[in-house]
Amino acid sequence: MEILQDLLLYYTHNAWYVLEQFGRQFLMSAYGVLFGALVGIPVGIFIAHYKKLSPWVISLANVIQTIPSLAMLAVLMLVLGLGPNTVVFALFLYSLLPIIKNTYTGIHQVDPSMIEAGKGMGMTRFQILRMVELPLALSVIMAGLRTALVITIGIATIGTFIGAGGLGDIILRGTNASDGTVIILAGVIPTALMAVIADWFLGLLERKLAPGKKRNGLISIGHE
Amino acid sequence: MVKLRKSILAVLVAVFLLSGCSLPGLSGAPEDTIRIGTLNTSESQIMGEMIRLMIEHYTDLDVMMVKNLGTATVQHQAMLEEAVDITSTRYTGTDLTGALQMDPVKDPDEALAIVQREFQERYDQTWFDSYGFENTYAFTVSKELAAKYNLEKVSDLEPLADELRFGVDNHWMHREGDGYQGFIEAYGFEFPNIYPMQIGLVYQALANDEMDVVLAYSSDGRISAFDLVILEDDLRFFPPYDTSMVARNEILRQHPELKEILSKLAGTITTEKMQQLNYEADGKMREPVVVAREFLEENNYFEEGN
Repeated sequence: MEILQDLLLYYTHNAWYVLEQFGRQFLMSAYGVLFGALVGIPVGIFIAHYKKLSPWVISLANVIQTIPSLAMLAVLMLVLGLGPNTVVFALFLYSLLPIIKNTYTGIHQVDPSMIEAGKGMGMTRFQILRMVELPLALSVIMAGLRTALVITIGIATIGTFIGAGGLGDIILRGTNASDGTVIILAGVIPTALMAVIADWFLGLLERKLAPGKKRNGLISIGHE
Repeated sequence: MVKLRKSILAVLVAVFLLSGCSLPGLSGAPEDTIRIGTLNTSESQIMGEMIRLMIEHYTDLDVMMVKNLGTATVQHQAMLEEAVDITSTRYTGTDLTGALQMDPVKDPDEALAIVQREFQERYDQTWFDSYGFENTYAFTVSKELAAKYNLEKVSDLEPLADELRFGVDNHWMHREGDGYQGFIEAYGFEFPNIYPMQIGLVYQALANDEMDVVLAYSSDGRISAFDLVILEDDLRFFPPYDTSMVARNEILRQHPELKEILSKLAGTITTEKMQQLNYEADGKMREPVVVAREFLEENNYFEEGN
């Protein structure tokens, strides 16, 4: 109970500050995933069509994912310096794997007969991509973006170590204070909340974009 | 393919570097951004936020806070490598022996004059005048004990030293110069019952009557909050630790208006005031930026002509 009261006290004292850091953290994550999508989706599409390349590219993305986030930041800091941009770049790298992998899987799993049908109708390769493959893969690609965003929101907290701000600032201050449990919680709770809300929102979007929903269910395409 | 990915990465790195690194909502253009480095203490962060708020109020510059630099040495290195432009709290005694590798000086004004001169000459950095408070080691007792034995200065402890429980910072025990060994030599007595602990614990220990004397940081908020008494260092054993900000001359030249704005913070905060501000942050869980803003507003720093 006492912790709850202290938390409430903390938020009433520092509401404006918490909101500001909340916004920073979200922006860093969102930029990271945005850049990740700009690079990852084209790469995913590319390797789905040139399958020989896929193990290489996916392994590379896997390797990036295994680098501990603190080590990644430390190395990037040497090149890019302190500040939020370095964190955004790190988050971009971390978002590549889920985005590339899901794009690849999404395109790859499209029923070949659909593509054949498209070809039979005289579609060009680009038209097949735009009208057949992408719409059918969209929900899987969205799932990848969703995973990427949740991962990056979590990782963005350590941006505080290189002067990027964000909710990690609050958590770190709590660890430095002699009795900082409440302050740590005050930073952790909004972080978790942000991840849950972002996941929920993108989940909603994902369902909206699921194949077959678009035409009021009159024509159900896809083979689930 | 690996080649392609490499080139994509290279392009991205280039884009980041060339675009002036400004992402809307996160960071401004580097030439208009002042980077302030602070330690991980509340004191350093409060002062850093004050500097930020002053700059943001009086200029159009962007400010980036680099909090939680580990030690004075890290602060100094960050300045030298131009990773930060201003460091919010630098202590004369620390940098005199640390960064400058010079002998400690007991006179506060002389110490300040030396670091101001040396930082200009050696590093092209401006060491501002002190904020007005110092954060030194201070022998501290409870009000009751001080009244009972009429304690005013550290020498008064000598006849009582055998019975007193003395709580100190772990680091101080083995510190060169102004550590425990130096203390014994200077004051000529020892404390048989000495308890090294983490510095943050000594205040509560004293307030709970688990210790009789502790070595505290003089600007810590708990000294005024727990009604503790600082004993005068009558032999001037500890070097002065007056607190100032340090800025790189390069940014002062680029933005000439900064010097006047930043100088407004000099000579305005007493050690007692800093104790209160620190207590707001440590004891009442208010964020340094909230404490800093409140202080500046209450003292009319945001009014022109001040």
